[in-house]
Amino acid sequence: MYEIVSSVKRDYIADLARQNKRTDGRTLDQLREVSVETGLIKSAQGSALVKMGNTQVLAGVKIEKGEPFPDTPDSGVLIVNAELRPIAAPTFELGPPNENSIELARVVDRGIRESESIALDKLSITSGEEVWMVYIDLHALDHDGNLLDASSLAAIAALWSIKKPEIEGWTLDEFPIQKKPIAVTVAKIGDKLMVDPSLDEENVMDARLTIATTEDGSICAMQKGGTGYLTVEEIKAAYELARAKAAELREHLK
Amino acid sequence: MLHVQNRELVIPGQLLAEGSYLLYGGAFKEGKNVYSSVVGLAEVRGQDIRVIPLQGCYIPQRGDFVIGVVVDKHSSGWILDLNSPYAGNLFVSSLLDRKVDLDREDISQYLKMGDVVAAEVADVDERMRVLLEASGPGMGKVTGGKLMEIAPTKIPRVIGKKGSMSAMIQDTSGCRLRAGQNGRIMIWGNDPRMVRAVVEALLMIEREAHTSGLTDRVHQFLEKIKSGGE
Amino acid sequence: MEKPEKLIVDGKRLDGRGPEELRPIKIQAGVLKRADGSAYIEVGNNKVLAAVYGPREMHPRHLQQPDTAVLRCKYNMAPFSVDDRKRPGPDRRSVEISKVIREAFEPVVFTKLYPRSGIDVFIEILQADAGTRTAGINAAAVALADAGIPMRDLVTSVSVGKVEDTIVLDLIKEEDQYGTTDMPVAMLPRKKVITLLQMDGHLTQEEFERALALAMRGCEQIYETQKAALRAKYATKPEGE
Repeated sequence: MYEIVSSVKRDYIADLARQNKRTDGRTLDQLREVSVETGLIKSAQGSALVKMGNTQVLAGVKIEKGEPFPDTPDSGVLIVNAELRPIAAPTFELGPPNENSIELARVVDRGIRESESIALDKLSITSGEEVWMVYIDLHALDHDGNLLDASSLAAIAALWSIKKPEIEGWTLDEFPIQKKPIAVTVAKIGDKLMVDPSLDEENVMDARLTIATTEDGSICAMQKGGTGYLTVEEIKAAYELARAKAAELREHLK
Repeated sequence: MLHVQNRELVIPGQLLAEGSYLLYGGAFKEGKNVYSSVVGLAEVRGQDIRVIPLQGCYIPQRGDFVIGVVVDKHSSGWILDLNSPYAGNLFVSSLLDRKVDLDREDISQYLKMGDVVAAEVADVDERMRVLLEASGPGMGKVTGGKLMEIAPTKIPRVIGKKGSMSAMIQDTSGCRLRAGQNGRIMIWGNDPRMVRAVVEALLMIEREAHTSGLTDRVHQFLEKIKSGGE
Repeated sequence: MEKPEKLIVDGKRLDGRGPEELRPIKIQAGVLKRADGSAYIEVGNNKVLAAVYGPREMHPRHLQQPDTAVLRCKYNMAPFSVDDRKRPGPDRRSVEISKVIREAFEPVVFTKLYPRSGIDVFIEILQADAGTRTAGINAAAVALADAGIPMRDLVTSVSVGKVEDTIVLDLIKEEDQYGTTDMPVAMLPRKKVITLLQMDGHLTQEEFERALALAMRGCEQIYETQKAALRAKYATKPEGE
């Protein structure tokens, strides 16, 4: 199932965009109201509920013993999974993960993995046999646009919320999290770029670019989405936006 | 014997009255007792009882003015989403008010997927198949403006007694407003700030439809925005 | 989890409650934007979210009923909701629970008012501590009312069990795992009839009757919390007052 956007809505959003305006009164470079609540799920070692406007994503981190990958016998394992269940939107269907939930999980994973935010080499128990598995499960609760940024923020907030895990066999003093990669999605409507697309903007946009950056501004993940195209200038401009907004979002991790 | 007061907030399964009352919606009888079936405001007039639901989907009824969105087409017309479990069928002859030779004319020139159409519900059969009529004055394809949706149960409040609320909003804001029974509202205006103000006013009505003094509060809010306030 | 030595000491259970006491309950109605109706509930350490979509066009078409709405229910546990991470996706337990929850609501929803449509109820367990299905039912009832779906009554639910020869109300994890009997019950609070009843364990007839009566008393208390949650949503003071 997919959403049909009425022509009136499409025209209205495009019209406003030409005037650098948005339907909810935001400027093109303005985020919606963001809130991050951590530690709310006691059955998880780390958890975070992120709200961006009306979009809500809950992330839970579970740490368990498991087998390492054969080619990295001394490394812990990171697994990111996303559930876009029908509770969050009328267009989500039950069933195995579809391309949207898989893409979302993999992009969030990339930001955390490529930035080496978790020191996976500290998570080995017995070389080649037993390591710590870090499962990040993203649970979308309410979809009002930009699940990707909300999920990415929830994942990193959940990781940073882990106090010393009370699990049998855990010997480290703390959970080895060392960076704060933040994904920011920039949507293109006409020839305007805007951050944190709302649901309507997402349904109307030509393309989007998601860029995850760490504290020093270096890029650890990128993903272009949508059926349209981006010019080189637009990509550069998107990077500047993403870096600035990532710094804003990072404030919520304190 | 009544167990509730007029305009009292009731919930499903709540006892409203005992005895021979006539029910007009939102309520049901079991034996001699009348119960509410929804969360809403009980309304009692003499021997008539109903509960005005505070939430609920739109069910098309003959004569309703609705705002639909084209989601599918067939050989002689289109299917319109009506913000309801039931979609509406619009034959091309009901849009153009004339017979159409389907072999000669390509009807896709009149409406495309995603087009917004102001229409009237011409008929609803017992299988809930809905027939639309869109050739009358003020009907047909809608362009420009802003389309928003609120809970259909709140539309009567947006229109107001004899259209008073909707007239007040239009007069105060300088925008034009058309509200469909199915919860969809079109707003046209030259000043985007006033259009947004009207959107806010409509959301306020949706939130506070069950309270009194609402017309005044909405009026004050719009006046404040008009004179440059936030 | 290690088995505790005793589950009841001097009439007090592991969490300090007496045998006939409920865990603290909190319910909020209307917590999601996209869903037509929703409710969030905390029962002890359970955190459960229920959402309702409908009545809406029913897909797939071939499952439509010509004269009635089709009620569907999906109970799901988030992977992080339990001590040992649960693999995402439906398991046999979730499928059975989804069915009995749907059947708990079928007697009350006026499905005949919406032919050919579907009414979907989604229950997501975010944090689990025994009694997730009963917490889910209590939230789903509020979510259905929040969505404006006409019903004959709310549905209220609680579990009872037997722990060290004592009949107890509203089991926690340890009591569910190490007690001898677990019996979830759902009731229509107005007519006091039962729409969900499951039991595993061992009860004499006399014990069963006592347990059922205790469950119904527990439901009556929970019903008050459900009603309050629905009223609270509309008790908001309008701006400017």
